[in-house]
Amino acid sequence: MSVKKIKQALSIAFLLIPIFVWSMSSAVASDVHPKHLRFGVLPLQSPTKLASMFLPLAGYLTDQLGKPVQFVTSPNFSTFMARVEKGEYDLIYLNPMLYRRSRTYGYRAIVSVAGEPFTGILVVRKDGRIKSLANDLLPKDVRIGFPDPDAFAATVMTKQYLETLGIEADKRMQVQYFGSQDSALLALYSGLVDIIGTWRPSLRSMPKDIQDKLTIIAETPPQPQMPIAVINTMPDSERELLRSALAELHHHKDGERILRRMGFKQGFAKINDRAYMDVTE
Amino acid sequence: MNQTFASTAPLQPNFFHTLRTRLIFSVAMVHVVLMGFFTWEAVDRQSHDLRQELYNKGNSLASLMAVATTNALLAEDLASLAEITRRVGRQVEVVYGEIVDIRGNVMASTRDGNIGEVIDTSTLLHDSFPLDETDLVLDLYETLNIGDRTVGYVMIGLSTQGLNNALVDTRNKGIRAIVLALIIGSVVAWLLSMTLTRNLHELTQAAGRIGGGDLSVRVTEHGKDETGVLARAFNLMVQSLHRSAREIEKEHKKRTDAERLACVGEMAASIAHEIRNPMAALINSVKLLDNQQLLASDRSEVTNIVNMESQRLQRILNDFLAFSRLPKSQIEQQNLADIINETLHLILHDPIYKPSFSINTSFDEELNCYCDRDQIRQVFFNLVINALQAMGDEGSLTITARVEGHQVNIHVEDNGKGIAEPMISEITKPFVTGRKGGTGLGLSVVQRILVQHDSTLTITSEPGKGTRASFELMTIKE
Repeated sequence: MSVKKIKQALSIAFLLIPIFVWSMSSAVASDVHPKHLRFGVLPLQSPTKLASMFLPLAGYLTDQLGKPVQFVTSPNFSTFMARVEKGEYDLIYLNPMLYRRSRTYGYRAIVSVAGEPFTGILVVRKDGRIKSLANDLLPKDVRIGFPDPDAFAATVMTKQYLETLGIEADKRMQVQYFGSQDSALLALYSGLVDIIGTWRPSLRSMPKDIQDKLTIIAETPPQPQMPIAVINTMPDSERELLRSALAELHHHKDGERILRRMGFKQGFAKINDRAYMDVTE
Repeated sequence: MNQTFASTAPLQPNFFHTLRTRLIFSVAMVHVVLMGFFTWEAVDRQSHDLRQELYNKGNSLASLMAVATTNALLAEDLASLAEITRRVGRQVEVVYGEIVDIRGNVMASTRDGNIGEVIDTSTLLHDSFPLDETDLVLDLYETLNIGDRTVGYVMIGLSTQGLNNALVDTRNKGIRAIVLALIIGSVVAWLLSMTLTRNLHELTQAAGRIGGGDLSVRVTEHGKDETGVLARAFNLMVQSLHRSAREIEKEHKKRTDAERLACVGEMAASIAHEIRNPMAALINSVKLLDNQQLLASDRSEVTNIVNMESQRLQRILNDFLAFSRLPKSQIEQQNLADIINETLHLILHDPIYKPSFSINTSFDEELNCYCDRDQIRQVFFNLVINALQAMGDEGSLTITARVEGHQVNIHVEDNGKGIAEPMISEITKPFVTGRKGGTGLGLSVVQRILVQHDSTLTITSEPGKGTRASFELMTIKE
């Protein structure tokens, strides 16, 4: 080998060494701070309550994927959807209506809540003045509460159901939004409103003494269940791993405990994206 | 009656050995030690309390932050997080406050530019006291947990500057308290010592005056404490001493008068005894001279007797006068060798004394001393004459004079017949003599002269071997 070639080889080596060192340090740094999968959950309830429900699931997914899964939510539905639009979440749990919207931002459903039909319910106090939803029996100053205008089951479906009864909630009633399912339930319990729209998992999550004071006065027809969707930039292998992990959750040794925390009795089922095509706002 | 104060100890003790100094020092030291101990305890206690308070406050603040931020952190509500950290940052001691999510992302911070930074959550600091000297921030963090799951961290840093300032302030107050205690303690001790030693000082002064012979002195009896009791006891003692002294003085006067009378009687008897024989000889001789039938040869002999006895009477009277009218010594520096030589010259040229004896002298070179020249010459004259008379016709007289320290030791030694032991103690008394014809006043005169020179005559003798007379004279003026 000529001297010139040796010099060229050394020059290349000098150029490559810093790159190698940089790449190694980056690798070490990435080990120290591994990239999290961000699991965004629609703020159906208070953040801490949602966290207590979904953190075990996040932990389960962390174990299954071999990379950390971070549970996050947002202050309200619109902020959540704004973040969805920006692709800030790798994994989202939301209602069918918002899922329809999120599809345009690149999210695709991989599983949905299994078993229980997805319905909205109208709840009143047992000792309240609302005993029937007959339009002519309702007082003129009825106050109705919802979590959020974009809450599909609690707001959209219940409003649609009321319309089928000839009651246009936004005109016939005094409408109030309380930010979350829990807030709406507590507002009813406290007497701030006469009736609320919500869904069964939230009612079930209330303390027993509160549940005893409330009663379901009507339930909407079912819609496709709440999906879990992943962003389309996620590698196929990881997406499939997630789908399998979620679908097999109820078979896992900790599955029952995790599902009980979330209020989902039968876990998740793999779903065809087409099931949500008929969902309308 | 006058007495001298016998003790050689100084009446005023060394300043550092005084009761007052010791009392002040002791009380001041007790104050300093106690106050130092209390101050150290107070600083230590306050340091512990302040540190604990700051630590508790930091933990409480971190816990409150954790409670307040959990929902906002889970919802990634940056506005709420910013508001919470801003409010936390308003706290006086807070240096920084930060909220970090589970990824290590700083979601909110009181420090500009930190938001969005990624930190290693495995190296979060949770300090405990004592901190390093250079560490002026107490770093604490609180984990945000939902159930057993961690969702984020609250980090807070509290400045220890206020704590350190408070400790320094406390320490300075403690030092001021120590100094104040030292001053107050010293003043109190000084006042106390004044009370205690006032009588003692007066007692000391009074004791000094008593030592000087003033028994009329009395001390003031302050208060009813121990020193007051001591003062009263002292006064009683002095009163008793004064009474005793007066009685002793009276007794002494009586005894002196009696002794004087006895002495006068003794001297009168001695004089009468001394002059009785020559007077009797004179009277008898005069009676004989009155006898017209006395032969011329006898008359001449009687006349000689009259002359001899008259001379004897005259000598007795001269010696007596020399003894009784000894003038006051005129002490000046003299050369003792000269005095001795003058005396010996006088004696050797006196035809009365036969030059059949030998005289040996041995002097140091510098033999200056303080004395009355004439009186000391008289001393040597009497001692040498006594020695010559003791030696008889033959003998050896030795005079030595040696300087030792501040005095000259003088010895006049003969090898005469010596003095019997019982006589040695009596030999210096007037009219005591072991020699027939002697007046017994020579050594008495010597003794009196030496007393006036603050010296004493010491006589040692061994019968048949000789006698040694010794005395000393000072080489310095007292």
